[in-house]
Amino acid sequence: MLPVRLQITLITAVVFYFFMMCVFLKNKSLSLKYTLLWLFAGGILGALVVFPGILTWLNGLIGIQENMNGLFVWAIAFIVCILLSLTSIVSRQNHKIRQLIQTISRLENRIRELERQERYDTDEIQNNAEQ
Amino acid sequence: MKVLIIIPAYNEAGNIEQVVDNLMEKCPQYDYIVVNDASSDDTREICMRRGYRFLDQPINLGIGGTVQNGYQYALENGYDAAVQIDGDGQHDVCYIEKMVQVIEADEADVVIGSRFIEKEGFQSSGARRLGISLLSKIIMFLTWKRVKDVTSGFRAVNKRFISIYAKDYPQDYPEPEAIVAAVMHRGRVKEVPVIMQERLSGESSINFRKSVYYMVKVILALFICRLSFGIRR
Repeated sequence: MLPVRLQITLITAVVFYFFMMCVFLKNKSLSLKYTLLWLFAGGILGALVVFPGILTWLNGLIGIQENMNGLFVWAIAFIVCILLSLTSIVSRQNHKIRQLIQTISRLENRIRELERQERYDTDEIQNNAEQ
Repeated sequence: MKVLIIIPAYNEAGNIEQVVDNLMEKCPQYDYIVVNDASSDDTREICMRRGYRFLDQPINLGIGGTVQNGYQYALENGYDAAVQIDGDGQHDVCYIEKMVQVIEADEADVVIGSRFIEKEGFQSSGARRLGISLLSKIIMFLTWKRVKDVTSGFRAVNKRFISIYAKDYPQDYPEPEAIVAAVMHRGRVKEVPVIMQERLSGESSINFRKSVYYMVKVILALFICRLSFGIRR
């Protein structure tokens, strides 16, 4: 079991965590798509703190004797999952940014070529008119 | 055969004029495109002033993204073959025709200009040759394909590989990985002997600290690249 004082502290922390998350989501400084894992992790940790019986059962499954140690292990596991998902998001965005830069440079080249062609055509028309 | 020469250039203000002028003089039958990788020197201004055909990347992508951009340009404009040469003047443009002939005769899909076949010209330092030889052995182990000059950036590819590389080209020191990708796409890779010179001016982008990172990164990338194609050969 978790000590009651610790349980109250952790519940307050989880409530504060959800409150902050809601504020960020409301202000659109976090996008829901990338926040789902954080919300999911918060929900699970909240459930473990409110119902320590689940925590004891889960700890028994993987052979952890102390509830507090178990809570740390689960929290770290969630953080590792979130970091992995963030790294994957960064890699995907890196790929998208690269594609954008490549496309922009080719479009810029086309504009330059078209401008050059236009200048050439204008000069030709002027020359013909003068002749 | 419509051939495009791709010249990736990062801070090559001291070399680019000579490289492009030399290319236009010796290989006027081929089109070329300089891909400026957000150089901080005058590379862009020189290309503008001289009226070269060039792509100007607003943000630095590194050699992989820059060369890939060249292949995407070749794909969009319907080229039959593409040759990549370095913007530092190390590669002798006289060999381009020889490499294109191999593609034209359909003897290979990817042709690599190799300085280690006839062992003439600039051979790089001993430490680098040791690194190249190690990478060559790893590629041999992974693909059963013997390639001596695995880091050579002097390459020619046919239409099929323009399309493959335009879609997916390794980033960050891509040359050895591109060979594994080529073999795994069932491409025929062939080396032809070329003579390379020392770069005309400026310094190579790879120093000692970077070369340690290079070896670790490339070896890891080679294994991952090989694994990404599954167990088939």
